[in-house]
Amino acid sequence: MNSLLDSPVEGFAHEAFLYREDEDFLAGVLPFVREGLARDEIVVVAEPPARLALVRDALAEDAAAVELLDMTEIGANPGRIISVWAAVVDRALAAGRGLRGIGEPAFPERSAAELVECRIHELLLNTAFDGGPAWRLLCPYDEQRLPRTVTAGALVTHPLLTTPAGVTPSAEHFSAMPTDALGDPLPPPTDIVLRGEYRAGDVPAVRRTVGQYARSAGLPDEKVEVLQLAASELATNSIRHGGGGGTLAMWSVPDAVVVEFSDTGRIDDPLVGRRMPPPSQEGGRGVYLVHQLCDLVAVRSTPAGTAVRVTTWR
Amino acid sequence: MRAQGLLDEPPAALDADHVCWADDGERPLSAVAERFLVGGLARGERLLCVGDDVVDGLRARPGPLAAVDDLIARGALEVLPTAAAYTGGSGFSAGEQFAYYDVATARALADGYRGLRVVADVTPVAADPAARAELARWEHLADDFVASGSGMSALCIYRSDVLEPDVLAAMAAVHPLVHAPEDVVPFRLFFDDGGLVLAGCVDAFGADRLHAVLTSSPGSWGPVATLDLSGLEFVDAAGCRTLGQWVQENAERGVKTQFVDAPRLFRRIWQLVGCPQVAGTRPEGDVE
Repeated sequence: MNSLLDSPVEGFAHEAFLYREDEDFLAGVLPFVREGLARDEIVVVAEPPARLALVRDALAEDAAAVELLDMTEIGANPGRIISVWAAVVDRALAAGRGLRGIGEPAFPERSAAELVECRIHELLLNTAFDGGPAWRLLCPYDEQRLPRTVTAGALVTHPLLTTPAGVTPSAEHFSAMPTDALGDPLPPPTDIVLRGEYRAGDVPAVRRTVGQYARSAGLPDEKVEVLQLAASELATNSIRHGGGGGTLAMWSVPDAVVVEFSDTGRIDDPLVGRRMPPPSQEGGRGVYLVHQLCDLVAVRSTPAGTAVRVTTWR
Repeated sequence: MRAQGLLDEPPAALDADHVCWADDGERPLSAVAERFLVGGLARGERLLCVGDDVVDGLRARPGPLAAVDDLIARGALEVLPTAAAYTGGSGFSAGEQFAYYDVATARALADGYRGLRVVADVTPVAADPAARAELARWEHLADDFVASGSGMSALCIYRSDVLEPDVLAAMAAVHPLVHAPEDVVPFRLFFDDGGLVLAGCVDAFGADRLHAVLTSSPGSWGPVATLDLSGLEFVDAAGCRTLGQWVQENAERGVKTQFVDAPRLFRRIWQLVGCPQVAGTRPEGDVE
């Protein structure tokens, strides 16, 4: 057995794993999976379809004991991946079984904007699961095809680095880990922006405005109604928690329609909307719904205010 | 299926009409009342005017209802002054209202009329903060009575120059037919075909109002409460959760809930906000 996998796990082990070729990928992933199966752990692999097929084929009959999830579906918007892992952790706890997962959110086919959100997702995984139950999450990064900034960033967002030599602490994580995951500014719009302000009583008008814009930009009905829901939830949050109102900005890029809601409020919980609120909780489902239903959601919050940018692919 | 929707013009008379007419000053109220009542007269219904201004307005118009005294004399029209209708010394009571209209409708039928068609200016009651909640409860109860085939129809006048938009919204929300600005009346909850119908938009700002109406609902469901969502144009997380609460409350009373024609987005939200865990129900069907 590979020695790198023998280290005992205390708490959440969030490991980056850089690979270049399929062989490297399988050499890291397969022993990790097989060790989990040998320990009767729940093993979940979340990868894009091609990598999923690679793992399935390599595992042969063992694949039946592994939960294979399509990362392009469960993580199409990176902001919803934590809720998937949280559900798996809850299930493992309820079953009294150990857990390990493989998750490759930052696959090479991602757009630049998605890769930025993947980085924030990786940062927030630590916030979400540190101090909780013990489990391992191995995050493969394609060193050959991803931008260098992305693979370098993985060393910052992951406390552990898995290599053929073993699992070691990532020096970059402990020296460069940002304290504010939502603090980086969003890039400015690249096209003509339609702007409007809203306050109490304007939510129906905001819904209509966003719906009309989305329709005129050619989005299909299903995406229009999702965007209207997002508009309603985010404008409501501004009115109730963001200083009584906010600003709506809308613009189009060749492959997407973008709407952004900004206000003067500050989000205290960086995980807002990334975990499903418990059934007993009264509110807090708006941003969660937006993350679950929309294509790409970017949340930024600083003492100066909060912005939520929703990108809908054409 | 009852007539329902947002109105620009006063409606022609049909069975089981229940109209909220938020007067915007564009049309004389007497003209609105006249159109509603004339149709009833042609259908062989007894007419009942509640509110002094309504009757005075009819007298002043040249139409078929101008001969108010003749209509009264032959029993085709009854008139109830506002003071007599709504102030009996014990405050406004939905139960007393129901008792009155139940008897009045039965009397009209016994006298050979096809039913009882009412125009009532309810503004004075709605303007009284102490009476509003009971008035909304009565309007919902009255809608059940109208929808049940009792023979009663009603047009309820609410004057926009007297009442705040949120008061109009609360009252309009329990009528199937509404004349009011769209943003003032985001949703309507009414009875039809033995169940409830929810139409329009329910968001975080209207969810509490919806919950208040649902919990005040007469609740004579039998084993299954049906909620038709085919006219639900928009719902957010708060609206979904409100419906989940209602389903749960029904379950605690031993009543199952069935949604009919739930829109696609509602079904997705229902699952995502955890309503199945709260309410133990599927969005498209029976309680588990």
